[in-house]
Amino acid sequence: MSMYPDPENFDPLRRLLALKRHEQPPPGYFHHFSGQVIARIRAGERAAPDTAWGLLWDAPWLQRLWAALEARPVLAGSVGVACCAALLASVVLFDGNTDRNSAQAVPSQQGMEASLGFSDRSSRGSFFEPAALAVFQLTNSFTSSEGSLFPVQPVNFIKGN
Amino acid sequence: MIMAEPLSRKASKPLGEAHAELPPPEPMPETELVKRARGGDLAAYDDLVRRYQERIYATIYHMTSNHEDANDLAQEAFIKAFHALKSFKGGSSFYTWVYRIAVNKTINFLKQRKNKTQMSLDNLDYHVEHDPDFVALISDKTPRREVNLAELQEKLNAAMQRLSEPHRLVVTLHDVQGLSHEEIAEIMDCNIGTVRSRLFYARQQMQAYLSDYLK
Repeated sequence: MSMYPDPENFDPLRRLLALKRHEQPPPGYFHHFSGQVIARIRAGERAAPDTAWGLLWDAPWLQRLWAALEARPVLAGSVGVACCAALLASVVLFDGNTDRNSAQAVPSQQGMEASLGFSDRSSRGSFFEPAALAVFQLTNSFTSSEGSLFPVQPVNFIKGN
Repeated sequence: MIMAEPLSRKASKPLGEAHAELPPPEPMPETELVKRARGGDLAAYDDLVRRYQERIYATIYHMTSNHEDANDLAQEAFIKAFHALKSFKGGSSFYTWVYRIAVNKTINFLKQRKNKTQMSLDNLDYHVEHDPDFVALISDKTPRREVNLAELQEKLNAAMQRLSEPHRLVVTLHDVQGLSHEEIAEIMDCNIGTVRSRLFYARQQMQAYLSDYLK
């Protein structure tokens, strides 16, 4: 017998590998296996996502993306930085747009009255003071139909109440 | 019972050996079970899981050398298969399809686990001591006589873990589980030539790693 195995004769190796067939899970393991699978399927059905976010999270492409990010921390960091930059850029752009919108809206007195709901015309003089103008701009940015971020309930201020 | 019995041997199990007085109930065809499971019949799916659980578990176990990981991945593969049944067109057999899901899941898992291999090996059954190959291995007048079972099992698994995932998979499916080249090509979605060349290379690697036991 040669000291080294014949590189083309794999029979001894195959016999050795066949021994792995004797590796067995704990006794009774397969008696419970299918029951556990079915129980997990049932549990999953009970907790099935009914919200849009839940359905989106279950999407295979998102799961694959998440798995890829988990496996590569550098990539995950880069994606995080990119997301932050995008968020920052959108905030800056949005801010610029609201400044322009409010600058256009200031000359329209009718619009101001409608927005703030002033019923007493005598208060109009003080309204153009800087502090009041700032309040108007803030309110206008929230309630303008195009750039509305939050739902705002308009309030009427009636003098004398 | 041998866990990873080759398919040919499993298929040829004589049915007539059962009790004479009560004939065993006719097993439902796989296609019928798949149809019912697709309609949400969990009892039918339970039957399908029972049919293939040992082979799926064994494949994943031999790939990971870890019982807990194999348990989790095998369960997840069957759960994923159940939810994906609607996309199963029936172009291949159900078991090839489930195999493919299990194999993809395992390979993804191994890619994430890279360099964190921790073996948690199953026990060897008592049949191994009567296995002629093992008896021959320890009775020869060579250094192998000193080999004990646990050490041999560990070396064998460590050698398997040194192979790349595709090579380990081919060795597992062919040399451990006894699948044909054609079946492996279908599961791995590659041609038979690729299976053969991977098997040859993997065996050469294994032979080098285990040379002490193969002299």
